[in-house]
Formats: sequence, structure tokens, C-alpha cells
Amino acid sequence: MRELTDQIRQEIKDMIFDYYAEECEVDRDEITMDTNPQEDLGSDSLMFVELIEMTADKYDLDIKLQSIGKYMLKSPMDTMSNVVDMFCKIYQYGNDIVNQ
Amino acid sequence: MFKRAFLFNGIGSKPEKLLVNLPPQLMEKYECYLDDAFTRLGLCKDIEKNSAYNGRVAEWVISLICDRVVFEYYIEQGIIPDIGAGYSSGIVSISACFGSVSHEFAHDIIMMNRSTMKCLEANNMKLDMGVIIGMDYQDATEYLGRRFSPDELIVGSGNSSFHVMISGRADKIEEALGYALEGGALKAFSFGTGVAYHHPVMEAYTKEYNDFCASIVYKDPLYPMISGFDCRMITTGDEVMRENIINCYTPIRWDLTLKKLEEMGVTEFFDVSANGAVKKFSRVNRRKCKIYTLDEV
Repeated sequence: MRELTDQIRQEIKDMIFDYYAEECEVDRDEITMDTNPQEDLGSDSLMFVELIEMTADKYDLDIKLQSIGKYMLKSPMDTMSNVVDMFCKIYQYGNDIVNQ
Repeated sequence: MFKRAFLFNGIGSKPEKLLVNLPPQLMEKYECYLDDAFTRLGLCKDIEKNSAYNGRVAEWVISLICDRVVFEYYIEQGIIPDIGAGYSSGIVSISACFGSVSHEFAHDIIMMNRSTMKCLEANNMKLDMGVIIGMDYQDATEYLGRRFSPDELIVGSGNSSFHVMISGRADKIEEALGYALEGGALKAFSFGTGVAYHHPVMEAYTKEYNDFCASIVYKDPLYPMISGFDCRMITTGDEVMRENIINCYTPIRWDLTLKKLEEMGVTEFFDVSANGAVKKFSRVNRRKCKIYTLDEV
């Protein structure tokens, strides 16, 4: 398991917020941890895949999408807070996220 | 040496999503082509007012017209392809844009899908297609193969490391979507098209379509193409015709097609769809290649 520092957590949050702001063409300041990425920003699953790929590239992770899909069955991504938490877990646990 | 490839999308994008991305100068051209095509084909521009089959093919013709407008825009900008590839009905589109057939004939091919749909209905065939996001061709084939036989459904198109299209019996497609989510897919949804393009079962119901595709002499394409079915190089009119004939019932390996293009030296891919649809489900080596869309040109 990788250690998740406050700095890494903030870095992940910034990356996610910046990505959604650009892709969904909204002001970054309008996005909060309570924002629903699908309903409020109009994001889709292909954007989600791209974000996973970006994260994998940035932190040199070898992650299987099915591991994330199985995790999402237990923990739906209804808010940005859920999304940030999940990406932090991807950073920490990689494919073992499915067991978290 | 191949450096630049044009990628043509298939059906699936709603007209409103395609048109919202066309800048005003291209919209004017689109309207002009649309008027000509719909008048000739007897289609109503208010899609809802068309009969069921006409409404569906009208949307697909719009998709072809958008491709043509974007293609011509790229050429006007001096962006010339070294090679091209068509995904599904993108084969019809590229056949016209690369000069093998007229745009009118390409529209007529699309219209022939009506006879396919009628034939399926007459034989009480309930078919469908769906998309699974979060699995690649190998994973999806292996996972779905545990529960479904190829007669029931197949992976009709391996698109990328995270995107496949499935095709087959409607009830089995529905079942497979839930099964895919259980297996870790991020998303799975059906098209509700009533057809199973790229499943071999379609061969028996596309005779009229196929005969029509074979009814004229095709010119050699202005630029070479690569087959989305088996990565063969296509340089003659007869080969372009074959691609059109086998299109409806032959599985696609888009993932391998793009890989082959990369191996051939292509580094610049241009998505000819108006809404960047090809880029969304395709992947190329990020460090060496880039897929450009209309809004980036």
C-alpha cells in the first residue's frame, strides 16, 4: 500500500477538479465536493476512463478498470467527494481497491 | 510512408450532438448538402415526422453529411490524409469521401438499411447491440463467453483497451449488460437499434443491402484505406466494394486497426466525426501519437 500524504491528496483533488472544469466547460470555482459529476456537470463514463488513465500515467500505476468497476458497485460516485476518495484509494491500493 | 490517418465514425451519434459542434461556416455547407440529400431521398428534415425506418436512416444520413463537411474542411485546411479507416458505417462514409463512390450512392447504401430492418421484422428477429465500457476485447470475449454462446452474442467490435461493442439477440444483450457490470464494467448500455450489426447472423438479412453495395463499379480510392476487419490494405475499387458488402455481418477490430496504423508510422490521427466520437472510444500511444478532432483543427 502506498502512503497517501495530505500533499498527494490535494494534488489528486486539484487534478480531478481541473479536469472536470475543462472537460465540462464550467468554472472551477463552481465545483465543490458536493457537486454530482453526472447530474451537475454532465460528465460521462468516457471522461471517467480518461481521468483514470491520467492518474495511472501520473503516478505510474498499473490498474485494471474492472477493479475500479467492482469497487464502484459498492460505492457509487455521486459526489466529487466520492470521486476524490476513490482516486485516493486507487493511488493507495491499486487493483486491491476492490477489497477496500 | 504513412504519417497521417483519417478516421471515420459509424452511426450512433444523435444529430443534435453532431450539429452543435459545427461552426457557422460549416453549418451553411451542411444545410446545403442536407437539403439536396433529403429532397432526393424523400426524407423530412424534421426527423420525428419520418416513418420509423425513415427516421432512423435519416439520422444516419445526417451523420454521413457531417462527415463530408468535416472531411472537406480538413482538406481545405491543407490536412491531407496518407491513409484512412472507417468504423462500421464509417466505411460507407470513407468510400464516398475518398472518391470510390458518389456521396449520393453512399446515402443510398445507408437507405438500404431499411430493407434490412424490414427483413428482420418479417422474420421476427429481435436483435440489438450494446456498449461495455471498462473491458477490452480479450477480457470481454473471455468473460461473456462463460455465459453466452456466439450464436447468442459476440463482441462485435473491440474498440480500445476500455471499450467494446456487443451484438446479438436482444434478450441476451440485455442480460449481458447486467452481467458485465457485475464483472467490473464501468458502464454498459444497449443501443435499442433492433439490429445486430457486425454479428454473423446479419448475413442472412442483408442480402438486398449487399446486392445494392455490389451494384456499381467502385473507383480506386484517392487515398489508401485499411480494413477495420482484418487490417488489410485497401487500394482498389473492388476492395472498397468488398468492405461495404461484408460490413453489416463482420466483427470489427478497431483496436488492432489503430495499432496497425501506428506500426505503419502514423502519428497524426484525424477524427472526421463532427463531435469527436471516434476519439472518445479510440486509444493510440499517447507519447508518440495524437488524435485531433474538429475543434482542435
